[in-house]
Amino acid sequence: MPDGAGRSFTFLEQAARDDLIGLGSQLKWLRELKESGASIFKERGLPNRSDEYWRYTQLNKLIEIDFQLSKESPFVGSKQLSQGVSGGLSTYRIVLVNGCLRKDLCSIENLPKGVLIAGLNAAISSVPSRLEKKLGKNIDLENMPMAALNTAFLKEGVIILVDNDIVIDKPIELISITMPNKYPTMSQPRFLIDLGENAKATLIESHIGNTEIPYFNNVVSEVTIGEGAGLDHYKLQEEGLAAVHISTIALRLQRQSLYRGFILQSGGLIGRTEASAVLDGSESDCRFDGVYLGSRNQLLDTTTSIKHVATNCKSRQVFKGVLDGSAHGVFQGKTHVTIGAQKTDGYQLSRALMLSPDAEITTKPELEIYADDVKCSHGATSGDLDADSLFYLKSRGLSPDVARRVLVEAFLNESLSEIKLNEIFEGFTNHVRGWLNSKTKQSAVG
Amino acid sequence: MALLEIRNLHVTVENKPILNGVNLKIEPGEIHAIMGPNGSGKSTLSYILSGREGYKITDGEVIYNGIDLLELEPDQRAREGVFLAFQYPVEIPGVVGLTFLKTALNAIRVHRGENELDAMDFLKFVREKAQSLEIDDEMLKRFVNEGFSGGEKKRMEILQMAILQPKLAILDETDSGLDIDALQVVSKGINALRDANRGMLLITHYQRLLNYVHPDKVHVLANGRIAKSGDGALAQELEEKGYAEFNAFVE
Ligand SMILES: Nc1ncnc2c1ncn2[C@@H]1O[C@H](COP(=O)(O)OP(=O)(O)O)[C@@H](O)[C@H]1O
Ligand SMILES: [Mg+2]
Repeated sequence: MPDGAGRSFTFLEQAARDDLIGLGSQLKWLRELKESGASIFKERGLPNRSDEYWRYTQLNKLIEIDFQLSKESPFVGSKQLSQGVSGGLSTYRIVLVNGCLRKDLCSIENLPKGVLIAGLNAAISSVPSRLEKKLGKNIDLENMPMAALNTAFLKEGVIILVDNDIVIDKPIELISITMPNKYPTMSQPRFLIDLGENAKATLIESHIGNTEIPYFNNVVSEVTIGEGAGLDHYKLQEEGLAAVHISTIALRLQRQSLYRGFILQSGGLIGRTEASAVLDGSESDCRFDGVYLGSRNQLLDTTTSIKHVATNCKSRQVFKGVLDGSAHGVFQGKTHVTIGAQKTDGYQLSRALMLSPDAEITTKPELEIYADDVKCSHGATSGDLDADSLFYLKSRGLSPDVARRVLVEAFLNESLSEIKLNEIFEGFTNHVRGWLNSKTKQSAVG
Repeated sequence: MALLEIRNLHVTVENKPILNGVNLKIEPGEIHAIMGPNGSGKSTLSYILSGREGYKITDGEVIYNGIDLLELEPDQRAREGVFLAFQYPVEIPGVVGLTFLKTALNAIRVHRGENELDAMDFLKFVREKAQSLEIDDEMLKRFVNEGFSGGEKKRMEILQMAILQPKLAILDETDSGLDIDALQVVSKGINALRDANRGMLLITHYQRLLNYVHPDKVHVLANGRIAKSGDGALAQELEEKGYAEFNAFVE
């Protein structure tokens, strides 16, 4: 029996202790959903090497520490809130601190008609039947043990429901902040985003850690994009140095819908974002791009699975990593084209820049194609900075440090410059610069 | 004091001798042309002067402004006023041309003890220089050399030279691949930088650039050495006779 199974039991005991399984016990569907998550997780345990998509990301660390759901929600000021990536944009804002929704920090007044943004708890009481139709519907729990765990704990989170034809005037900003606690905390937030037909929205998600103490955030986002609708989704993962951040994004795209995801991961001891999309309606377009910045002994994992079910859909995944120290980057990208998904256009690219001989990259592209009339490609590169480019810059007076930095920024800038919203572009760029600055300081010391 | 003095320079690449005792002296204000057959080591010489890795200097020395040039790192040389216009300028996607130029200029200005230019002053300064080289704002905002035509790349090199104002400029086949109009624009740019305190080393395979930029001295590099030196008339002679006389010595 794998270690994880034993440990999973402890997690569930915890859940029982906090009477989470009992939440919403009046609602049979909710109780059943949570119970199914609990039983799947109990059976599967923590993912381990024998799970195909977890081969490189070991969660054994979770076993060593007795994480507990946070009961307190510490003080958070504007300084912490400004760590997000929204670049000063005016937004509808919703804030979680140590996994708990903080109404006092949210600003979701004056929402446009047809838009519901609420805490999961509030939404369960106010619109249970709408949630019943959506919650847990996009996730294949059997194959996603961490999402199953999150489902067992289903309690805290954020619900965003947008009616047909609504174009939201401002981006929605979701900030998750972890502050120091007396004990190692965990959070299991659930985000549900549902866009009706022809709706348009922008979601800016920031996961910020303000502590170097270990903690564990296991996030699940369920996203459904209705016919003709479009979602721009930005995510910053900058958890604390010792944190474990596991995120599962389950997407469903309907006909002629558009999803553009961009994610920057640089936080955590272990940071993993797994996106799994089902392109259900024809002519939908799914882009999932991002960058990851690893140093020290970090493990940063990006795992994607794009399933083309309908015809004439497009998918694109472009990921770039910069790895320093003894950081390990993992990119597993799967494009699955089912037999009926003719005229699929799938593209995937992974590029990693290795700044240190001890850094490591694992790339696992996978094309699984059952239709015959498709255009799919993938590519992967990894290596050091280009020597000719470095020499060119130095020959113009740039010191070796500055020249290297310029080239690293350039490498990332190619990805960042695809970001449409200027403020967000600036926000991510500043974040990249901050990361490079802290690295320069590290090497100056060491 | 000579601006540049190369004495008995021997260079190998992967154990293969390329330069076998080059001697050359450039005084401030002079323009020297180095001509020679393909593969004779002209670019190698330019890289040795600018400090590229991958070459082994087995003998000789290079004195620049009284200092041992070969002791300096490439970026130090640049800040001391050595500039190489590359035969094949490198494309650097992701780096915006203007940002690159500003970083370079300010690195050099700080070294000279001058204040850094702010964005406004810098832009004004660059536009002025760019105009005469027929480089527009759009080109400056693109990524460095990315997707540029051969001629655009060469004009950009000259622009960099005009901005960085080196003491010693080495121009490696800046004329190759240019049509006659572009050649005139580039020549004008080079002539504008002729200065009593500046030395230039024009590396070229053909004589035609020298119709527009008149050198003080012309040298033929062959068999890893300066095989012949003369004035502008030598270039004319080479144009008529070709390098056959020198090729005979090439192994
Ligand atoms: N990095 C290198 N590795 C191997 N051979 C080289 C390298 N660089 C130059 N060479 C060789 O050195 C000789 C001189 O080259 P180069 O300096 O480029 O000549 P030129 O510029 O005069 O055409 C050529 O034979 C070339 O093949
Ligand atoms: Mg050459």
